[in-house]
Amino acid sequence: MTTATATFEYSHTVGFLAYRGRGFIHPIALTLGDNGAMYVLNRGGPESVGRLEHKRVCVCTVDEGYIGEWGTGGTEDGQFWWPSDITRAADGRIFVTDEALQRVTIFDPNGNYVRHWGDVGDAPGQFNRPAGITAAPDGTLLITDGLNHRILRFTTEGEFLDGWGEYGAQAGQFNTPWGLTCDSDGNVFVADWRNDRVQAFTPNGRFIGQWGTGGDGSGQLNRPASVAVDSEGYIYVADWGNERVHIFAPDGEVAGILLGDATVSTWAADYLAANPDEQRARTEANLTPAVNPWRDHHRETSARIESRFWGPTSVAVDSEGRIYVVDSCRHRVQIYRKTV
Amino acid sequence: MTSTQGSMTIADRISLADPETTRIAHLLRRAGFGATRDEIDRAISQGYEATVEELLHPELQPDLEIEDLIRRYHTDQNSLMLLESSQSYWLYRIINSRRPLEEKMALFWHGLFATAYGKLNHAKAVVNQTHTFRRHGLGKFADILLELSRDPAMIFWLDNKDNHKDAPNENYGRELLELFSMGIGNYTEDDVKSAARSFTGWTIDNAEYMSIRASRDSFWPYGRIDWQFRYRDDDHDDSEKTFLGHAGAFNGQEIIDIIVRQPATAHYIGSKLYNFFVSDRPDEEAIGILADEFTRTGGDIRAVMRCLFQSDFFSDESARLGRVKSPAELVGGTARLAGSHRTPEWTICNLAMDVNFMGQEILNPPTVEGWHTGMEWIDTGNLVERINAAGAEMRDTTRPGVSAIVGRVQSAGDILSPRQLAEACLDAVGMFEVSETTLNSLVALAAPWGEIRFDQDDAVACSKERVVEMLQLIVASREYQLA
Repeated sequence: MTTATATFEYSHTVGFLAYRGRGFIHPIALTLGDNGAMYVLNRGGPESVGRLEHKRVCVCTVDEGYIGEWGTGGTEDGQFWWPSDITRAADGRIFVTDEALQRVTIFDPNGNYVRHWGDVGDAPGQFNRPAGITAAPDGTLLITDGLNHRILRFTTEGEFLDGWGEYGAQAGQFNTPWGLTCDSDGNVFVADWRNDRVQAFTPNGRFIGQWGTGGDGSGQLNRPASVAVDSEGYIYVADWGNERVHIFAPDGEVAGILLGDATVSTWAADYLAANPDEQRARTEANLTPAVNPWRDHHRETSARIESRFWGPTSVAVDSEGRIYVVDSCRHRVQIYRKTV
Repeated sequence: MTSTQGSMTIADRISLADPETTRIAHLLRRAGFGATRDEIDRAISQGYEATVEELLHPELQPDLEIEDLIRRYHTDQNSLMLLESSQSYWLYRIINSRRPLEEKMALFWHGLFATAYGKLNHAKAVVNQTHTFRRHGLGKFADILLELSRDPAMIFWLDNKDNHKDAPNENYGRELLELFSMGIGNYTEDDVKSAARSFTGWTIDNAEYMSIRASRDSFWPYGRIDWQFRYRDDDHDDSEKTFLGHAGAFNGQEIIDIIVRQPATAHYIGSKLYNFFVSDRPDEEAIGILADEFTRTGGDIRAVMRCLFQSDFFSDESARLGRVKSPAELVGGTARLAGSHRTPEWTICNLAMDVNFMGQEILNPPTVEGWHTGMEWIDTGNLVERINAAGAEMRDTTRPGVSAIVGRVQSAGDILSPRQLAEACLDAVGMFEVSETTLNSLVALAAPWGEIRFDQDDAVACSKERVVEMLQLIVASREYQLA
């Protein structure tokens, strides 16, 4: 994918379907650490007893090194039920939102439970399905309070500071917001999920602008789940309902659309090498067949063509021009590279 | 889908409402999954005939309005990789659909064309098949059979991917005739062979790779890949065949056209619809009426269903409360009534497990014949499951449906005697017919409470608790197990 100023090329895929250990199961978000580390949050599901242990954070690297995992499903301290988003503060501590347990849990850099906070309700500072979380440049935390349709700001110790937004479709209003991020100036970008748009605000919550209208054309969005902004002002949107990533240039024009290009990861290659008959049949198969699905064509196309994004729930960028796309229904992270 | 004799009957039945109200409540139980009192009132105001037409045209109602929310909050129901996730997804549809007959028809066809996860190891493939039933379930039977024959789950289930020009596999051809359309005794072995040859080349993309993955239950490296129909002309036997007295170089579609014209098919489908929607006890005269309508309309299922719902035998007292609710009907219907899971809640998988524990693993029927229905839904163990599950749904007053029921009972009067309480609760849940024995039992159980009062502030909370207790008793009644 090329624009006048930037090129977005597929790099490689990290991941493999695994309930535990080296791999992911319905990953929903990631945050980046030092030296290429990736903390991949696995939502797993359904919430039956035997599957709770699938809910965890898998720690690996962008070059497919496996470091380890921590966390499990449950309602006790440090456990997850509907983990939704993950972010890493400047001091290395990691914060995870949970939409079922209605709380934010703090972990130390090694994944040890520190504490959590969260009360259910719609009063200031209370949650109704806290979804996205991001660490702002000023050291505070911003959280989308999904079913209260607003943004909340906390200290990293869980003290409520302020917030903005209400239910609606006007500027500054939200409908079930999901992911959010900040640029280097602290401006806040929110994936306004059920309004099919991304909204931007100043650090103190004043509306700046918006991108996207409902639809599946160029510049249109369908239930955007996540947004990332790079140092040059390019905006990356996980266009969840359209099974793609939409890239807007700083001038607001569409700079690119990514559909997914996954290849066999190192972890996947290990599995196939151990199962040669499956590998042989896979090699002989046409994995990009012509598709003529009957409904919800983007989703059904992604279900049929393995390399496509299927349920992209999170997008992140790093300082080296890498773009990370969490491919939730394919249990992997697809990585692209931007060059200017 | 097979039936057993010994239907439930209500010997000392008493009616708490006028005949039209009773008839409409019966329709909404059978053509859907029951209804709230408000929904019953709305149906009464528009009349029985208009309600039937509304049910028969689900396409005029919006599709599932919380589909995006379900897939957002349940990531596993976005991929539908796992059986429990897929069962939960269907339960959401049963609970929230504004197209109840569409879901009921999907359940009917799923029972008749029983395709099970157990062999496929591909839950979404079975879900996709149920979507086919939603799209075509009230259409022409020929279209249903054609879509079924092209359905990847069915192709896998009955081995049509292994049905080759040079090596026919008769499995699908045989079941198409025996279980899906005509019934045994109405065709010959030669007809089976001809049918099988006509469906050679009807397969799926990448059949070998998909077969290997299914056989070892492999979802690696990146989850299931949806199967897709593929017609391979080079593997199709286009030679002359004879089938049910007809001769020609038939392809599968022409075989279906011949099947649909057979009187045996009209009778077979009529009998299956009668069994599912009317009664476990066969009535040849009624089945004949349905078969005639099938024949008259060229296999138009919507017309047959209209005929069924408007018939006297459907509304007759012997039919009302004459069928045992399937587990999916019981659990889904009670959740609809209670108003639970109108937005995604993780507990949906517990409800789906309840359905399984009661003996109905939707998307995973036990055999090609589907489930044994009727009294076989009830045994000592699963009766307890049924009562407990229904009671748990009605226990939570924060659920909007339960809250609405309590409010309706409260509006029945400031002071309610035990009998008035029982009757007001029965009315509020749309149970307009019960046995005198049941009503007397409810009254006797409420007798120690004395009168309940809503006219004194300090008594309201206690009175509401009594209403909830009465609701739990009602859903534990014999009549609540019946549709």
